[in-house]
Amino acid sequence: MARARVGIINGTGYIGVDLTRILLRHALVDVVCVTGRSAAGSRLADVFPHLAAADMVWMPYLANSGALVPLNSFVEASGTDIADFYPALLAVNTYGDQYYGLPVSTNNLELFINSDLFEAAGLDPAAPPTTWAELQDMAAQCANPEQGIVGIELYTQPGEGLTWQFQVYLWQAGGDFLTEDLTAAAFNSEAGLKALNYWLGLIDSGAYTLSEWGLFGQGQACMVMDGSWMVGIWAETAPFAWTTAPMPYPEDGQPATNMGGEHIFIMAADEAKQQAAWDFINWFTSTEIQLEWDQETGFMPVRDSVATDEAYRAWIDETEPRLLSFVEMQQHAHNRPPVEQYAELSDAFSAAIERALYGQVSPEDALAEAEAAVNGLLE
Amino acid sequence: MTALTPLRARWRQANRQGDLPAAALALAPAVLLFAVFNLYPLAYSGFLSLMEWDGFSPQRTYVGLANYRAIYESADFRNALGVTLKYAVGVTALSVAAGLVIAVLLNSDIRGQNIYRLIYFLPVVTSTVAAAVVWRYLMTPGTGYADVFLRNLGLTPPSPAWLRNPAWALRIVILVGIWKRLGFNIVVFLAGLQNIPKDYYEAATVDGAGIWGRFRHITVPLIAPITLLLVIMSVIDAFLIFDVVYVMTDGGPIKTTEVVGLLLYRQAFRYFNLGDASAMGWVIFAIVFTATLVQWKFFGARESGL
Repeated sequence: MARARVGIINGTGYIGVDLTRILLRHALVDVVCVTGRSAAGSRLADVFPHLAAADMVWMPYLANSGALVPLNSFVEASGTDIADFYPALLAVNTYGDQYYGLPVSTNNLELFINSDLFEAAGLDPAAPPTTWAELQDMAAQCANPEQGIVGIELYTQPGEGLTWQFQVYLWQAGGDFLTEDLTAAAFNSEAGLKALNYWLGLIDSGAYTLSEWGLFGQGQACMVMDGSWMVGIWAETAPFAWTTAPMPYPEDGQPATNMGGEHIFIMAADEAKQQAAWDFINWFTSTEIQLEWDQETGFMPVRDSVATDEAYRAWIDETEPRLLSFVEMQQHAHNRPPVEQYAELSDAFSAAIERALYGQVSPEDALAEAEAAVNGLLE
Repeated sequence: MTALTPLRARWRQANRQGDLPAAALALAPAVLLFAVFNLYPLAYSGFLSLMEWDGFSPQRTYVGLANYRAIYESADFRNALGVTLKYAVGVTALSVAAGLVIAVLLNSDIRGQNIYRLIYFLPVVTSTVAAAVVWRYLMTPGTGYADVFLRNLGLTPPSPAWLRNPAWALRIVILVGIWKRLGFNIVVFLAGLQNIPKDYYEAATVDGAGIWGRFRHITVPLIAPITLLLVIMSVIDAFLIFDVVYVMTDGGPIKTTEVVGLLLYRQAFRYFNLGDASAMGWVIFAIVFTATLVQWKFFGARESGL
């Protein structure tokens, strides 16, 4: 059987280390670590390995480059239960009616609560807010502007940080970021306005004061919506007691969150190597290996069968129960629109929202401005 | 007799000391490095500025001057140019003026002169990114020293806090720029001051000139060539500002600190519009080049020293 050369694109830090460790045990794989864009200009398949993994934001670039091998025939031939993967994770890899990759790891955003600040304000961290109204009330009660403590920390600096946080509120209110065919903005809607007005209400009520991101980790925020990867970090570094809860959503809305993660795909031109690469992907994304992977790395499950696995749940209970909110909410995670211009349109969107937060424009005008900018970028 | 004969004659004439091969060898590394890391990227970016390319795909599309037109029509670029100009004027004017005053003070016979020089020069040799991170901590709302200090004085810090305040963010970035540049200006001014003959000051004192009179009529005109040099260097440096802003504000709030360097970085390394980014680089180059020429022509003409 042909051996597959494997590389990790932009896979630095602990994902690179853990992936390499698991790959080294696989019989049909030679690890060839590749990172960055140093080979810019050459056809990817000519320089890159037969198999690689990359952050989800790279998938549109990679799929459009023509270097990726469609996986549908492999999926059918090996009878892989594709429906077990969360649909939003598959959407990142679907262009036309073909899958160009499979998810290997993911994460999402939920609510972190500083228990010390909560209790000091007369609130019970064991009874976290479940609706937007409760979130605002509790945040306003917990905020202490004199000491620079905010009730709920929002990301209000320009850039993707703002956009991907705002998307959660937008989806919770029933809206969407782009139209289903990804050709135009969809956020200039009733739901978009509701989400933006909610943020403005958080500022008006004193629940949040415009400031730099990073307050929660310094013990200067009662609550924050942040990623599952912060569980491990704050478990070690936070000098205060904290807990987590699912992100509150409006009473007439729906649970939703945002996600990141990595996807694996084939770049080999040779059929035997493609088959070997697929065999590896099929093995690596299987429930059995994913169970081990998620426990080693702290990533969220990409498959329902992992998320609901009894041994996995028992492991969470035992090692870090604060991950449970994230595991349970992964099924409600949406994907950011997989378009090549995403980074640029995310910046344009955040710039307009920031203007509304500073009272430079009305929320209606900000959304219209963002819509015009985003549609211009999508052409 | 070949066509090469006159060339050979010139070579022999130039090499009559026999040291040209050695000189060429000694210069080669520097010339090679300059060619590889300066000339080649310069030419390549000029080529890319006429293309549309995402840095990824194998084909590049020729688009003529479309990238330059897009910059000309971009409201964001106009805003960034204005912000950069404010930054350049603020940092240059204040760091050069304060530098001269402090240099004059240090040039008098005060105790511990070298200690002061060291203190003022330290920021120059501090890593910019590390310094910017520390400055950001200083300006952190609530726990930062700036807030703590103001509260101790019984004053209320602005809200939104410092770097998130549209009125304050650029001022703080300018302050960091001055802090970083001041020591260099002082050292260069000090060198210049030591070249002004003491007799001039003595003669002026005899004629009844006070401290201000001596500063205004002797120091300022005689140090002018140095001032011009520092102004030009400072303006060039200010136009290339990127790291401080990237670390401290990332262009916010509401684009009040969005300088051209940051826009270029985003176009190139966040949006992968390498054509637009290259064109922007050339526009910035043209602006800096023109600004330098203008300063040289208008202010330099009088200064025979330069």
